[in-house]
Amino acid sequence: MPERKVVYSTCKSCHGGCGVKVTVEDGVPVHIEGNPDTLTRGTMCSKGLSSIQHIDSPYRLKYPMKRVGAKKEGKWQRISWDEALDTIAAKVKESQEKYGKESISISQGTGRGYNRYIHRLARSLGTANVISPGYVCHSPRLGLYGLVTGYGRLYCDYHGWGGEFPKTQIMWAKQLEISSADSEMCNWFIQSLDHCKNLIIIDPRASAYATRATLWLQPRPGSDCALAMGMMNVIVNEGLWDKEFVENWTYGFEELKERINEWTPEKTEEVTWVPKEKIIAAARMFAIDTPGCIQVGSSLERQANCGHTLRAITCLMGMAGNIERPGSMVSWVLPETGLIEDFFLELPLTPEMQSKIIGIDKFKMGAARTCNPDTMVKAILDGKAPVHVWISIGGQQIVHMANTKEVVAAIEKMDFMVHVDLFMGPMAQASDMVLPSAHWLELDDVYDMHPRFFIAAHNKVVEPPGEAKSDAWIFNEIGKRTAPEHWFKDEKECLDYQVRKGMAGKMKWKDFSKNLVSGCWGKDQVYYKYKTDYWRKGGGFPTATGKFEFVSKRLAELGYDPLPVYREPGESPYRTPELYKEYPLIMSSGFRQPFYFLGQYRNIPWLRSFMEYPMAQMHPETAAKYGVADGDWIWIESPRGKIRQKCRTFPGILRGMLMATANWFYPEEGPEGYHGVFISNPNVLTSNDHLDPMYGSPDLTCLLCKVWKCTEDELQDNVFKTQEFGYVQRTVEK
Amino acid sequence: MKYGMVIDLTKCSRCHACVAACRVEHFLPLRVTWVKLIAYETEDAGVVDVSTFPVRCNQCKEAPCVDVCPTGATQQRPDGIVQIEAKKCIGCRYCVIACPYQNRTFLSKELDPGYFPGHPKTRFEEKGKKLYPHQRGTTMKCNFCMERIDYGTAHNLKPGIDRDATPACVNTCQARALTFGDLDDPRSNVSKLIRERKPLQLQRELGTDPSVYYIDGIIGGKDNKAPIESQTGSHIQHLSSVEARAKEIFPELKQGK
Ligand code: SF4
Ligand code: SF4
Ligand code: SF4
Repeated sequence: MPERKVVYSTCKSCHGGCGVKVTVEDGVPVHIEGNPDTLTRGTMCSKGLSSIQHIDSPYRLKYPMKRVGAKKEGKWQRISWDEALDTIAAKVKESQEKYGKESISISQGTGRGYNRYIHRLARSLGTANVISPGYVCHSPRLGLYGLVTGYGRLYCDYHGWGGEFPKTQIMWAKQLEISSADSEMCNWFIQSLDHCKNLIIIDPRASAYATRATLWLQPRPGSDCALAMGMMNVIVNEGLWDKEFVENWTYGFEELKERINEWTPEKTEEVTWVPKEKIIAAARMFAIDTPGCIQVGSSLERQANCGHTLRAITCLMGMAGNIERPGSMVSWVLPETGLIEDFFLELPLTPEMQSKIIGIDKFKMGAARTCNPDTMVKAILDGKAPVHVWISIGGQQIVHMANTKEVVAAIEKMDFMVHVDLFMGPMAQASDMVLPSAHWLELDDVYDMHPRFFIAAHNKVVEPPGEAKSDAWIFNEIGKRTAPEHWFKDEKECLDYQVRKGMAGKMKWKDFSKNLVSGCWGKDQVYYKYKTDYWRKGGGFPTATGKFEFVSKRLAELGYDPLPVYREPGESPYRTPELYKEYPLIMSSGFRQPFYFLGQYRNIPWLRSFMEYPMAQMHPETAAKYGVADGDWIWIESPRGKIRQKCRTFPGILRGMLMATANWFYPEEGPEGYHGVFISNPNVLTSNDHLDPMYGSPDLTCLLCKVWKCTEDELQDNVFKTQEFGYVQRTVEK
Repeated sequence: MKYGMVIDLTKCSRCHACVAACRVEHFLPLRVTWVKLIAYETEDAGVVDVSTFPVRCNQCKEAPCVDVCPTGATQQRPDGIVQIEAKKCIGCRYCVIACPYQNRTFLSKELDPGYFPGHPKTRFEEKGKKLYPHQRGTTMKCNFCMERIDYGTAHNLKPGIDRDATPACVNTCQARALTFGDLDDPRSNVSKLIRERKPLQLQRELGTDPSVYYIDGIIGGKDNKAPIESQTGSHIQHLSSVEARAKEIFPELKQGK
């Protein structure tokens, strides 16, 4: 009789958060579905469900390995964990002694629950040269919300807990409905649409609900700040702002009014390419039909004016009084376990550490706690970077950073690099050592990606393959060998420590794992905090002025414009008209698919079957103008290089632009080209020369390109011919 | 009793979760899907329409596939589900041609190279051989998760209401675009939707009378007041008691004010 059990856990196939129910028979997961008794009500996406295929992949890394050939040769030798960890510790120590503590860099991919481990390790090693993708995803938003309202974790209140749902919703460069990244938000968002009066989609490319929404605005990529200024102009000129809120709770409204004066609907239309009628209509809806909220997507943070874009959008929220009101933008109350990030925040970021951050002299907002990765790349190439040892987990900097050629050249110069991952990939091939990590179905951990209103438990469902280990174990072991005073006896103690604040200080990992979730929802949520003593005695926001700050003195002190200001992208029809003649298409790489998560999952057959090759989307008229047709393989070129993607014509996209599929490498390609990272990845085309003054973010979603059709001869790479991995349905002889 | 499904085109986000859930549920071979997503993207006089039609076997009430099957392998159950008995199927593929919706797949060797060709079958596939065997050389298609329905009804559960008696795709859809239930019961969710929302059946003119219906619409135009259930979030297990927690966070706060 086979033995069956059911294990409840939390998915982490994206940022994560969906409750999961797995049926295990004799140690093998035979079924996976959502857990109905959680916030996600039993739903799951294709990525999470395909985990069942993911964990069984024969291509998983199973043992620690060291490189025995040259980089990119793909020659590896199995070593023991002891040898691996001792080598890392020795390299760290040697580098610290020789070049100083700042010579150690630690990098991560997008937040996957390991954030707190890498930051704790970095701080315990006395370095702040952490490479995080935050500056192109989420940090600008948190930073600017924080600057304006004093509190960074401002989210759309889709829940109805305060008695109202958002009446007007703006989805700005974001497809929350496909939950590519934010599981539980997706669920609430879609539910809230049943109670929504106006849905406004702002996206140059039609997302799923664009053509069913109340309004759909298609701005020219990179012009979003101008659009926000234009909307504020309408609100001011028509006297639609929230008088009570603005008068009593904000600072600097008069200056802001003056600043946006020039952004008439006519001028805004000229800059953004959005018809002025739509700009006016959107502004009116947002200001009149309140409460309302704005969900921004990280495409806005992949632009070199992202600081001011986010700042303008935040001002727009405040002007309409869409702050802290049920159904508007609300800051979360923390779960009883507290901020799980205390796990690293409790170790100080000393002025000494901070002073050594690469890029801190320029990017005062983005490089205050972590380094500016693009500046680091340039510095390494100039031989000026202090960094010599790189500990990398999960992320594929080679894939997601601008200007792939330079990123590769810089990484190849590292003295010692170790990469932790589930599979071989570009970063692993550039490393001296790879460590196998466990999939989320194979580990115990605290889920905390968006430490807003809940944290949840990942409960181990199956054993990891070979000697793969959890992130907590790996980082604790490295920590024990390099900074023992800050680390724990074992993994269990480390987990206990993270939930220690729960149950009035008595909670252990075991209690938490049984209960699955700790959170604040329903009546736990507190609204209108600024009207009470919540942040300040007598009311107010936790800012320097105690107000919602349209004008930011703090920004002025840091040397930035205290009011929002629009800047053209580094390359654009208006900023570089000469270049535009040669590269007549505006390109974005903001397009995300529901079944991929950033660079992940092209090696999971079930998921790869949904999109075999990267798509470059163009309006049929635009494609025709440049002589390419649906289904053609096309070259896309920018001043930095050229790539190939498959042309897909799509009427739901702004004319005159091309939307490339981002983060694409071919796991099935050999190590010699870093798994095909130069074949189709849009970052071969992006520039790392023009960065956001506050955050150092490059223009990944707004640049210029040109296209033409590939010849048959130009499709000789293996990936166009082989059937390797069985990802795709294709005849071998082609 | 006639099971049917109503699909809300307004909500479907083309997320592909239903496809994945179906693959997991039925241990589907690598290159087989029982649910497909059909993209509908048009532009007419400047008006763009981007929609997605999730398509699966319609469990047609007048099913041509049943009529053409020479061995009786394809049959319609009393509850409307069109099922294939693999043991009786001789692989003639008449039904594949007869289905006007291309919802049937003949399971050839090519469609089943294993999840990772060139490697041994995965543990999950091995388990599938016993738990949900597929017979090469026969046809296959969506069966409305009839094993879930049969399990559920045997345990007094209501298909379309109780998860364990409801198709896997319906359970997983984050957009809640899929509704399942008994078309013969006027009080069921599907009957209600069909009454209220002017549904569409695919190629109705063929006379197949599909049990899968599509409803269309726009988003918005609703009232934003939250019903009481939405305000409590009480169906969820969590560690802190609401009152105690609120007091701790902010002692002066009076609940509900
Ligand atoms: S949305 Fe994210 S958390 Fe939810 S199932 Fe998918 S990958 Fe997992
Ligand atoms: S799971 Fe739901 S939203 Fe996603 S593709 Fe299927 S029907 Fe559409
Ligand atoms: S959709 Fe096709 S396979 Fe399904 S019942 Fe109708 S004719 Fe038969």
